[in-house]
Amino acid sequence: MVVEDEELLLRAIVKKLELSGKQVISCTSGKQAVDYLESMAEKPDIVWLDFYLRDMTGLDFMNALKHKEGWADIPVIVVSNSASPDKVSKMMSLGAKKYILKAEARLDDLVEMVNEIADTKEEESKQ
Amino acid sequence: MLTLSLIFVFPIVMAVAYWLLELGSQSGMGNEWVGVLGVVYGLNILLAYLTIKSLRRMTKSEKELGERAAKDEALLSSIGEGIVVTDESGLIDKINPPAEKMVGWKNEEVVGKKWFEVAPLVDDKGVPIPAEKRATQKVLATGQPISNSTYNYIRRDGTIFPVGTTAAPVIIGGKTVGVIAVFRDITKEKEVDRAKTEFVSLASHQLRTPLSAIRWYAEMLMNGDVGAITDEQKEYVRAMYQSNERMIELVNALLNISRIESGRIRIDPEPTDLGELVKQVLFDLTPKIKTKNQNLVVSVHQDLPRINIDPRMVRQVYMNLLTNALKYTPEGGDIHVIISRKGEEIITQVADSGCGIPQSQQDRVFEKFFRADNAQKMEADGTGLGLYLANSIVSSSKGKMWFESREGKGTTFWFSLPVAGVEAKKGEVTIDA
Repeated sequence: MVVEDEELLLRAIVKKLELSGKQVISCTSGKQAVDYLESMAEKPDIVWLDFYLRDMTGLDFMNALKHKEGWADIPVIVVSNSASPDKVSKMMSLGAKKYILKAEARLDDLVEMVNEIADTKEEESKQ
Repeated sequence: MLTLSLIFVFPIVMAVAYWLLELGSQSGMGNEWVGVLGVVYGLNILLAYLTIKSLRRMTKSEKELGERAAKDEALLSSIGEGIVVTDESGLIDKINPPAEKMVGWKNEEVVGKKWFEVAPLVDDKGVPIPAEKRATQKVLATGQPISNSTYNYIRRDGTIFPVGTTAAPVIIGGKTVGVIAVFRDITKEKEVDRAKTEFVSLASHQLRTPLSAIRWYAEMLMNGDVGAITDEQKEYVRAMYQSNERMIELVNALLNISRIESGRIRIDPEPTDLGELVKQVLFDLTPKIKTKNQNLVVSVHQDLPRINIDPRMVRQVYMNLLTNALKYTPEGGDIHVIISRKGEEIITQVADSGCGIPQSQQDRVFEKFFRADNAQKMEADGTGLGLYLANSIVSSSKGKMWFESREGKGTTFWFSLPVAGVEAKKGEVTIDA
């Protein structure tokens, strides 16, 4: 699942993930993502989260995940434009797996990392 | 003054003596008696004159003193800042009208009381600051002037305001006999500071979104993710990609500079092995080093102590110095990094055999956006911010940076860091985020 309110970025991310053979649910707002999670039978293997969303921040989203049964163990990586130490430490303490500065990363590398985490998660849940 | 008086009075004394002499010879008195009488009279007149003179001088200096006091009074009350004057035990001698207004107490109500009881100080969470941590008490204890702008005063009515204080000792004959503390309400400054913080954070967010989009789309085009492109097309897209990278670098450098200049940067010292830090930086630079086939030698003196510095900040210094060395040194050239201890400092030396800095431009090297002519010709890519930033970081870490350079021969940069390390500093931002 990719949560990113910039349409252009979202499109690129989704395209790249699909090219790597993944099924992607794309969300342009936090609420949309939460709604999806509530209605979906199967939870996503991983969530790609932008910190600043139109309707909420990454903190709100992490809190929503934490307080629902079965959602807390969905791995989240935060890909944001802003990575002040406060934000990073708060998000990590709320259970985010990684915090990445958007403009500093190649899409290739990001997608590879996401796939790695998602695949380990998949294997774990099979066991 | 006495000589002057004598010059004026002496002729009078002589005249009187002469007159008495004449009188004596007329009246038939002995000449010697008249002479003695003359001298006694003369001395009397002289003493009278001096007494009057010194009395006049005293009244004059009293008047001057009164004037001085009135001027001081006017100065104290016309100044916008609050002023509190205390004696050597911290008891209030005087507070001026702005101070009265800011804390809500009248001068006559507080004279003789302890300043730290009249105007209690609390931190941002409302926790009281003990007297010995306050500027006035610190000045009394150390005899050194001090500035502080991290706490808040509690007014008489219980409300609080952030305060900026400068306190200085009153020293007479080498002894601290009191303190003058000047303070002001810095509510507005804090607001402006907050607005600036928000602006910088917003700007970084806003600029980075389009930069990321360009980066990712160019990357996908080059990778052929949306179909093959010709070599020429690929070259064009690469040019776009590289320009965009430069823009990202520029935004990062500008953000770093605004973070350092605004003083909002957080310094997180931890025991750091500088040799390890350089090795990490060089590891990150491996692709660049390989393309130019340069000889890179790193020598770290044995038994170098770990020092308490912010590794993220110092890493940026190494990164900038080494990137420059790699960039301006021709293929097959030499780059030496030496880290050694000299007394209470650890000195890092980065020497290259590159294009050097023209003599005439050497004094501008640490200026913001400055790039030497030969550097600009040799390498279009560059912001002119790297050395400015490196120098700013070193200064904020209590070190110094300097260099020697000969055009066409090479450049050596040195920077020092105290073995004692740097103190931690609170702040909302770090150098790379």
